[in-house]
Amino acid sequence: MNLATEQTGSANEIVLSRVFAAPRELVWQAMTDPEHVVHWWGPNGFTTTIKRMDFRVGGVWKHVMHGPDGTDYPNSSVFREIVAPERVVYSHGGGKKGGPGAHFVATWTFEAVDARTTRLTLRMVFDTPADRDVVVKEYGAIEGGKQTLQRLADYLPGMAT
Amino acid sequence: MPADALSLTFAALADPTRRAILARLSRGETSVGELAAPFEITAPAITKHLKMLERAGLISRSRQAQWRPCRLEARPLREVADFLEQYRQFWEQSLDRLDDYLQALQAKEKEDESSHGADG
Repeated sequence: MNLATEQTGSANEIVLSRVFAAPRELVWQAMTDPEHVVHWWGPNGFTTTIKRMDFRVGGVWKHVMHGPDGTDYPNSSVFREIVAPERVVYSHGGGKKGGPGAHFVATWTFEAVDARTTRLTLRMVFDTPADRDVVVKEYGAIEGGKQTLQRLADYLPGMAT
Repeated sequence: MPADALSLTFAALADPTRRAILARLSRGETSVGELAAPFEITAPAITKHLKMLERAGLISRSRQAQWRPCRLEARPLREVADFLEQYRQFWEQSLDRLDDYLQALQAKEKEDESSHGADG
């Protein structure tokens, strides 16, 4: 099933919702187990190396996305809330130092439509610089002030053909 | 838009009162008094919100008229929308791949079950 993604949300957030023809447990596993995540994460043509995915509250998730042209895009997040198999909240500590609002908090919600169908809702809220500072301080999440999410952001539109 | 400007815009948008002000201004320019009317907050508080919106380039205030009407400036909003669009595309493509992967996983499960059946 490849139902179109629905989009809603206000000015500083993205909300996407999609229905998968798969049981909720399976969708949960595919999205939270690094052995699975590595198979689908990233846009077309990208591969991903997961350095660490410590899937517990406070755990760090670091991965590097490899673009089709060989460019690497490191990412670093911290899990804030995990309610299996219903909800995951993580904060993305990325973005170049002093860079644009590449820091966001993402919430994934898994809803069983029936035994073989799952609705996934993603919400990403882009925060203020002040909030970003808190995350940096609390978790040291921005290892790469060199983080290159903005480059990714610049690059992605060219990929969508 | 310089990087700092985008951060300013996000900061300005990260408040429900300011978003409500922008929503009101999307219907046309108006006075500060009229903007403040729906909110139970003080005039200085409204002024503070307006200053933040003005600094982010989201509104402008006329210097000509005595009552200095506020007006919505759409350009930064469009730049935010463009920025978010890139993340939306990231997820659209990732979820397409996830969808394919889930189907492959389930097909494999079925195959495993039927080969077990043959064994038994």
